[in-house]
Amino acid sequence: MKGKSLWSDARSRLRRDPIGMISFVVICGYLLVALLCATHLGFKGYNVVDNSIAYQEPSVVHWFGTDIFGRDVFDRAAHGTITSLTVGFFGAGLSVLIGTILGAVAGYFGGFADELITWFYTTIDTIPYILLVVAFSFVMGPSLTTLCLAIGLTSWIRHCRVVRAEFLKQRERDYVQAAAALGSGNLRRIFVHILPNTFHLILINFTLGFISAVKSEVILTYLGLGVKPGTPSWGAMISDARLELSRDVWWGLAAATIFMFFLVLAFTLFNDALRDALDPKLKSR
Amino acid sequence: MSENIIQVRNLAVEFRTDEGIVNAVKKISFDVPRGKTVGLVGESGSGKSVTSLAVMRLIPNPPGKITGGEILLNGKDLLKLSESEMRNIRGNQISMIFQEPMTSLNPVFTCGDQIAETLMLHQKLSKTDAMAKVHDLLTQVGIPNPAERIKSYPHELSGGQRQRVMIAMAIACEPDMLIADEPTTALDVTIQKQILDLLADLQKKYQMSILFITHDLGVIADIADEVVVMYRGDIVEKGHTEDIFLKPQHPYTKGLLACRPSLEKNPRRLPVVSDFMTADGKEKVIDVAVMKQQKQTRAIDVKHSELLKIQNIKKHFPLQKGMFGAVKSWVKAVDDVTLTVRKGRTLGLVGESGCGKTTLGRTILRLIEPTAGEIVYNGTDITKLGREDMRAMRRKMQIIFQDPYASLNPRMTIGAALMEPMIIHGLGSSREERLEMAGELTKKVGLDRSMLNRYPHEFSGGQRQRICIARALAVKPEFIICDESVSALDVSIQAQILNLLLDLQDEMNLTYVFISHDLAVVKFISDEVAVMYNGKVVEMNDAVGIYENPQHDYTKKLLGAIPKGMPKHLIQ
Repeated sequence: MKGKSLWSDARSRLRRDPIGMISFVVICGYLLVALLCATHLGFKGYNVVDNSIAYQEPSVVHWFGTDIFGRDVFDRAAHGTITSLTVGFFGAGLSVLIGTILGAVAGYFGGFADELITWFYTTIDTIPYILLVVAFSFVMGPSLTTLCLAIGLTSWIRHCRVVRAEFLKQRERDYVQAAAALGSGNLRRIFVHILPNTFHLILINFTLGFISAVKSEVILTYLGLGVKPGTPSWGAMISDARLELSRDVWWGLAAATIFMFFLVLAFTLFNDALRDALDPKLKSR
Repeated sequence: MSENIIQVRNLAVEFRTDEGIVNAVKKISFDVPRGKTVGLVGESGSGKSVTSLAVMRLIPNPPGKITGGEILLNGKDLLKLSESEMRNIRGNQISMIFQEPMTSLNPVFTCGDQIAETLMLHQKLSKTDAMAKVHDLLTQVGIPNPAERIKSYPHELSGGQRQRVMIAMAIACEPDMLIADEPTTALDVTIQKQILDLLADLQKKYQMSILFITHDLGVIADIADEVVVMYRGDIVEKGHTEDIFLKPQHPYTKGLLACRPSLEKNPRRLPVVSDFMTADGKEKVIDVAVMKQQKQTRAIDVKHSELLKIQNIKKHFPLQKGMFGAVKSWVKAVDDVTLTVRKGRTLGLVGESGCGKTTLGRTILRLIEPTAGEIVYNGTDITKLGREDMRAMRRKMQIIFQDPYASLNPRMTIGAALMEPMIIHGLGSSREERLEMAGELTKKVGLDRSMLNRYPHEFSGGQRQRICIARALAVKPEFIICDESVSALDVSIQAQILNLLLDLQDEMNLTYVFISHDLAVVKFISDEVAVMYNGKVVEMNDAVGIYENPQHDYTKKLLGAIPKGMPKHLIQ
């Protein structure tokens, strides 16, 4: 008889959460849009130049109108999904990876390793985050890779703290002591025993990091330190809107904002649902 | 005025869970007479705590719900009152004290403020008048230096003192009834005695009724006038304490009374509830001859060679560090202990919380490194072994922890947990062989091999402890430390596990060090007993001798504080 793991338990609870499931569907929708854009199977109007229809207002043909070059704004916003999802996944993924490794080492081994890592992240944390990211981008030049690296290398601190605290707690638990009594070495205790029991926090922190990375990309691109000019991006669209608004051209800003709003909202709500599903104390509700 | 302060009629409580509706309390009825103590006794899941929460209308909703019945307080149905009317009753006419005083007291407020809050709320006293009353209450409950303790925070008090503060809060408005939900379970036996005496004195003074909830029949015998026995949400028996103890009627009650280890008896095996009752509640015919078999005192002979010798072991923890890390003071958790454990025998290690017995157990296995001393196992000083040699030694020396919920990795199946020691020590040439060995281990501890694919949370506490025993046996050890291994279990499950440990010892010639604060359990399972106090062994003797002829004052105090397990006048 197959047992029901805590993960399958959490999956069942998540499936019963309507807001969580709707958010998940919305996220899947964004992934589908990004896939269609990347494979050129959809939203092809993003790069079709037609100066005769420049700055056309929203209509049935162009849902969010056209930009200065007559390109479909809705399709450009859809392509911006690729940039945001790429930065979100890789930026958050890198920060979670760094934070997990350093947090695990600090929390498990303690002593000098813990003091060194704690000193390191406390020092980094005193530097305003946006300045760090700007400095990275300035030095390495604007590109998608730079963005992912800049966000990933600067936003791991919060995750490191969480993982460190969890490792400190789990290290003292009886099941880890039992593993030590059985003859298990440090690596086995870390990877086989403690890390799987920390994974739910890693997952939750990843979704939080994703939201933060998407917002950071928009801000950096707006400041001119994000993706290369010409790459579809919500930040670039918002930046362009500064001048367009003076001409009463609001649809570029609206498209970028709405796309970003629903992605961030979906991830935020999904994060809440995930946290509830993975929290054993809420099991009976 | 009715002779009963509380009358419960057909009370039913259900909980909505992921697995469906659970009927925690199934239409129970009982009374609490004025000025008397009613003991509500039962094991985990019996519904006794849920009953007490229902009386206070504190059942969390969702997921719980009172689905029927009446709870009459002086004739008034509490279930029909509004929430604001009920708030006037809580803390005023009915008070409650809980098991864990540390989590029941708010850590950010002083003890004085927390007691005064009740007085200011219900009796509309000013802060000054309330504080004067608080001083009086703290004196009544036996808190030393009450003027200072008013300003203390909960973390500055001991467990017994915190419970006294809880009692002061509960009696502040001179309630008609006090509900005490396992108030002494988390306390040492000497502190437990003080708290029980205090409750008895306060009951006489205030003429209040007490509904005392516990799983410990020994405590019930000391304190209760009437007993209500609960099992799986039902009341199976109720009556005067004397009748319940002398003439139990229901097979569950008989089983519960019989399966407790006792200081007066020396059974070979403990009876278990299933000896008295079938799974569907019918009475069984008991094999009286087996029940009456006495444990034979095993004299030391040549086959009981010295297996483990602990020589001048110390474990000190730095308490305060000054500048540049210089240590200013130490906690001497284990302070110069010398003990010998013989092969095939059981050494019981007994003492109260903080005496160092668990620290000693973990130091023996080098889960904590000793500060000084030698640990000689079968002629080898294991304190000098390197990492690989120590890993090999761990095959021979194992441990079973107290909490069966915490000592299994919740993300690993039982099969993976049992196979892990085999993988670490290279036992079994293939996964199939290791699975077969894991299956054999489950059978050995009374479980089914079909359970190998399940996860720890799908098992009961007793089943998990069997799994922990099986895991320890996976490497075929010679020596096992049982660190409070039955303390977290209900008394009937405890009896099963103790019997299992004895059977395994007979079958595999295992050597145990059995650590516990429960002297009756230690006496049952041990050949020799060592009493620890403040990090030192103060007395050591064979199991019968230490109880019949204690020498050290601390041992005598410890034995004197144990509930006798029978109503006092019957013992006399």
